[in-house]
Amino acid sequence: MRRRLVAVALLAPFLLGACSTPTAEPPRATADTAVAEIKAGEAYNDTDVMFLQMFVHHQRQALQMTATAVERAQDPELRTLVQAVQATESDELSMIEGWLKGWGESTEVDTAPNLHAHHGGLPGTGPAEIKALTTVPDAEFDTAFLSLFLAHQHNAMELADIVTDGGKNAETKSFGERVKASRQGEIQQMLKLMAK
Amino acid sequence: MRRKISYPLVALGMVASSLTVASPAQAHGYVSNPPSRQALCAAGTVRDCGPIQFEPQSVEAPKGSQRCDGGVAQWSVLSDESRNWPARNVGSSVTFTWVLTARHRTADWEYFIDGTRIATFDGGNAQPDATVSHTIDLGKFPGRQRLLAVWNIGDTPMAFYNCVDLNVGGGGGGVVPTRPPASSEPPANPPAAPPAAPPAADPPAAPPAADPPAADPPAAPPAAPVTGDPWAAGVSYKTGDVVTYEGTRYQCRQGHTSLNSWEPSIYTLALWLPL
Repeated sequence: MRRRLVAVALLAPFLLGACSTPTAEPPRATADTAVAEIKAGEAYNDTDVMFLQMFVHHQRQALQMTATAVERAQDPELRTLVQAVQATESDELSMIEGWLKGWGESTEVDTAPNLHAHHGGLPGTGPAEIKALTTVPDAEFDTAFLSLFLAHQHNAMELADIVTDGGKNAETKSFGERVKASRQGEIQQMLKLMAK
Repeated sequence: MRRKISYPLVALGMVASSLTVASPAQAHGYVSNPPSRQALCAAGTVRDCGPIQFEPQSVEAPKGSQRCDGGVAQWSVLSDESRNWPARNVGSSVTFTWVLTARHRTADWEYFIDGTRIATFDGGNAQPDATVSHTIDLGKFPGRQRLLAVWNIGDTPMAFYNCVDLNVGGGGGGVVPTRPPASSEPPANPPAAPPAAPPAADPPAAPPAADPPAADPPAAPPAAPVTGDPWAAGVSYKTGDVVTYEGTRYQCRQGHTSLNSWEPSIYTLALWLPL
């Protein structure tokens, strides 16, 4: 599984926007390029849809947590990281919701995704835990947020395995690889902030 | 990493066929601070750890082990004392913080030094809070210590294992290697990683562009270039900084420390605006 991280690094320049127009050159990122212009194409399977639906839910949770952290983070380095995560994940959410809508698929899940339900585990981040971030004392905020958000980004990497293993659509699989790479990088930065 | 999931919208057969092909260690939790050995690997502080760097939460093994790797061959690097694990300077009272990626019913949390249990915290066979911290007095154990922290699951025979290297009485913060810091100061040319487990946070082994930097990111982000230097991972960029990537100049729109996959592209317009 891990060697795909290298593969995507090699392929990334060629995958950029490769599906938006089958015949034209891959679109260059320009000042007026909107995320909405990144199309996923028509070849997809149930795993692509399942992953994207689960990830929409996961991203909305992440944006709730980062919105709180932008206001409450005590460490300026953490605040900067959170702002960057918020910015990138907002665009990711728009992009993947657009893919689902383009396929005529729902962007909602009936039940919160839980990779561990079959053996009795709650996911790291549920509504109560996310809400608790708004009330934890300032002095404890950074540790509380980092503990929760590290778990959340580990979960994102686990979710991404679903699409890189079983997806069909080139854009969703490429997105899954970027999720693994970016979340791992964020986890590295968060662990260093945690151990400051 | 593949594991069963519960997902009501999808036919069970599809889930079973695509997601349960292999189900090795379930990944659930680790000690993040003071950093456990797997946390040091995941942070990139200690390099060439193999697959544990991607899933520090996965050191799961049957209860009763006293080993840093829980006796799991896949994680044996964690029991490799030749790795010269950096020890965290701590006072006599130490608070251990866990990251839990799945909150399982918990029998208890145990802490050992040299095979002796020095603290235990009852989990009440309940689901733990999202943030779990335990404070322990280590005053009777001054100096360099290898502490074993164990999370015993309530409804399975399994536990999660973490070794935390400490220098007790060394004050708060800081790291003191007992030998020359081969691990915390990576060499200029680190040994090649195993093919199946490249350290993905490094700049790609095979550069995506014709002229990216080949060096590892420095431990501390250098001052950011503002004049259109090539984009690189591990650099602290500020809003307004300009970089060059694959022949195009980009301006930073949101300050961040760069990482692999945050290079300027159509996917990262939130960070980089093409000029």
